[in-house]
Amino acid sequence: MLAVQASFNPENSASSRGPVSEITVALPAAVALHARPAANFVKTAIRFRSRVTVGVNGKIADAKSILAVLALGATGGTVLKLNAEGEDAPAALDALAACVSGLVE
Amino acid sequence: MVGIVLVSHSFELAHGLAALASQVAGSEVRVEPAGGGPDGTLGTTGDVVWNAISRADCGQGVVVLADLGSSVLTVRHLLEEGRSNGHVRLVDAPFVEGAIAAAVMSSAGQDLDEVARAAEDARGASKF
Repeated sequence: MLAVQASFNPENSASSRGPVSEITVALPAAVALHARPAANFVKTAIRFRSRVTVGVNGKIADAKSILAVLALGATGGTVLKLNAEGEDAPAALDALAACVSGLVE
Repeated sequence: MVGIVLVSHSFELAHGLAALASQVAGSEVRVEPAGGGPDGTLGTTGDVVWNAISRADCGQGVVVLADLGSSVLTVRHLLEEGRSNGHVRLVDAPFVEGAIAAAVMSSAGQDLDEVARAAEDARGASKF
């Protein structure tokens, strides 16, 4: 499932890094965010300048760090909260939402 | 892409970790194992390490991770001989996590500095 909720809140940003965007997106039921899928997710995040985090059950990880993403231990079907802050934040979240929904084992 | 070399006393450890890193990061990254001494013993040999560095080198630099102790000395000795032209970098990083982090950063097209930093930053990463 793709983004079920999206927000765009420039006023939320306390810093000058740029606009903040946040979406939630669910992992495919049969795909955990581990190994190759996690690497594909991280590689997508790295393409953007924005600071990007991924939250799972209250734990938040740097989406550009494979070790941080692996440590989330997100299993298939888990809802990920993606937050991006920077000039290309909306584009980063669009790309990550597409990446997540297209992940395969 | 930046090449990755994994130097271990153990042939199996180096090859197993290389296989894992390649599976996670993708086979387009050159992750080269350099493990074991002569005749299947535990140890490290300069020629084996140097050959792995040569295989890993695509011209954009090589990050070398070593498991423990004399693995580090073997790599240092090679680098001090001056055979590398400055773009082979030995990093002080946890072996498994550093290798995975470096391989993924390389596969994302990051440069030598970024790949080396990712490996070194792995020291502070929690497993869960």
